[in-house]
Amino acid sequence: MRTDPNMADPDGFYAAWVAAHEGLSDEASNDLNARLVLLLANQVGERETLLACIRAAVDAGVDA
Amino acid sequence: MDFAFAPPYELPTFPFTRPRELDGDLRRHRIAIAGGGLVGLTLACDLARRGIDAVLLDEDDTVGVKGASSRGICYAQKSLETFERLGIYRRIADKGITWSVGRTYSQADEVYRFDLRSDSVSVQPPFINLQQFYLEWFLVDRIVELGHVELRWKNRVGRVEVFDDHARVDVSTPAGDYVLACDWLIDATGANSPIRTQLGLDAHPSKSADRWCISDVRFKKPLPVERWTWIDAPFNEDRAVWQHLMADAVWRMDYQMDPDCDVDVISRPEVAGARLRAQLGPDVEFEFVWIGPYQYRDHLLDTFRKGPLFFVGDSAHVVSPFGARGGNSGVQDANNLGWKLALVARGEADQSLLDSYDAERRPAAVENLAVTSRTARFLAPRSAAEHRLRRAVIALARQHAFARGLVNTGRMSQPNAYPPSPCLPQGGRSVQNLPIAWRDGRVGTLATLLAEGTRFVVLWFAPDVDRAGVASAALAGEPVALVAIGGETALATVDDRDGRWAAHVGARTGDAVLLRPDGYIAAIVNDADGASIARAFGIAIGRDPGRETLAAAA
Repeated sequence: MRTDPNMADPDGFYAAWVAAHEGLSDEASNDLNARLVLLLANQVGERETLLACIRAAVDAGVDA
Repeated sequence: MDFAFAPPYELPTFPFTRPRELDGDLRRHRIAIAGGGLVGLTLACDLARRGIDAVLLDEDDTVGVKGASSRGICYAQKSLETFERLGIYRRIADKGITWSVGRTYSQADEVYRFDLRSDSVSVQPPFINLQQFYLEWFLVDRIVELGHVELRWKNRVGRVEVFDDHARVDVSTPAGDYVLACDWLIDATGANSPIRTQLGLDAHPSKSADRWCISDVRFKKPLPVERWTWIDAPFNEDRAVWQHLMADAVWRMDYQMDPDCDVDVISRPEVAGARLRAQLGPDVEFEFVWIGPYQYRDHLLDTFRKGPLFFVGDSAHVVSPFGARGGNSGVQDANNLGWKLALVARGEADQSLLDSYDAERRPAAVENLAVTSRTARFLAPRSAAEHRLRRAVIALARQHAFARGLVNTGRMSQPNAYPPSPCLPQGGRSVQNLPIAWRDGRVGTLATLLAEGTRFVVLWFAPDVDRAGVASAALAGEPVALVAIGGETALATVDDRDGRWAAHVGARTGDAVLLRPDGYIAAIVNDADGASIARAFGIAIGRDPGRETLAAAA
């Protein structure tokens, strides 16, 4: 799992992400994120990396 | 009333014959099988086919389960290949429904489709659907034809005593009670095994809250010969539905129910009839064959062997029905155990070979449990969050191929690969039943070759003439046959003109593929000669504990 900066345009990604959620109900917004996770997961593909990402996401929530 | 019932199936009954023990003949049996269901009968037929004497005890005198016309319906390729070896495949194919296409729907839309034929090189199709009692019936007929196995109907198993080297079983019959002694006892008594219970063996049972109701139905509207599944059918309150054709134009419709439903209500014929009407429209004529509510359950024994006692099929493991992994894994248990018992009974293999049954079939059951549990979870999300994840999968599956791989309405039964163990240092995987074209003009299949005797078969790819001669001499008298795939040796030779054999088993020139009597590859020996084949054979048959030897040679 990469944790060093790897996105070409972090601010641009964030803006597009926010824009996609604009005006959505919580329900629709959560659904959108779930679909997004699946699409991104298929870009990654590699099993160990995906599992590491899930663990890292869980851990970051515990620390918060 | 909007329903009618078809007349019940006419099942055969088999005669009770007075057991010899009742007349004082207490000689110990070699092998006794408790339970004449699918798995017990498959094992009995396997032993009979191998010429091994055994006795089978069944409390009933017919096939199927009283009051229920059918249990399993779906027989997978590995089972069908086994049944070809046993000599009943033709009857199954003639009576059953061959299919390979599955479709999965969400609401009114198809979201996923598979055709299992595309991965198959076997003579047998990926699946045939057939009511389980027909299969049991064919097995009984075949056992009677083959001899060797005494079928004792109306013989009820009572108390069981297990010793180091034999077991004793109290049996009650209409003509009186007796004690049966045997070297090996096979528990094929099913999910509620009384043997497991009285020995106090914990199978770690669990029950799902998910409820389903089967309707086996005959109707005139022709439906495609495909497996259709709905994740969330609009005609079933957005719950799952299965639709499958069996023999005699009977369809199995299986409906997921509200977990809090009243079981008595949902299985009423008028309620089941209303469900069918909602699915098929007002004009369809139908009659019920059987209606049965059920709940998923699973269990798994810690070990499938306790001294002389072996657990096969549902007595050892139960999984939810997704992917037809129940009956088919039981048939695989029988296919795994039969040849081992035969070789040990004949003195051609040591007792240690029998340990490999648990080493191979328990991991298979663990795998089946994991696979079916994942399907059950996909079909019955446990929280709003889980529903959301499933919604995302379905939404994407409509447009994108990758997401269809996450839609899980059952992963169809496969011959499980085995992890490395003392008899299988490289692990083991099953070979499909390829057709065989012998150089001398004969044709056959791998299953018919395996049926010729209880022995290993070495498929040797283009062997060297001198090595083949040495190997033949080294293995003379052993339960193993050498077959050349190509080359110019004196061995029986198969021509692999299209390279199908080499591709399917993954072998190159000079490799020897050591195939077990159950159609599993025990080892692939590269650049093989007589010594290396003999060593691999010794390990596979449990004679040579030298796992290290092979590892060093590899």
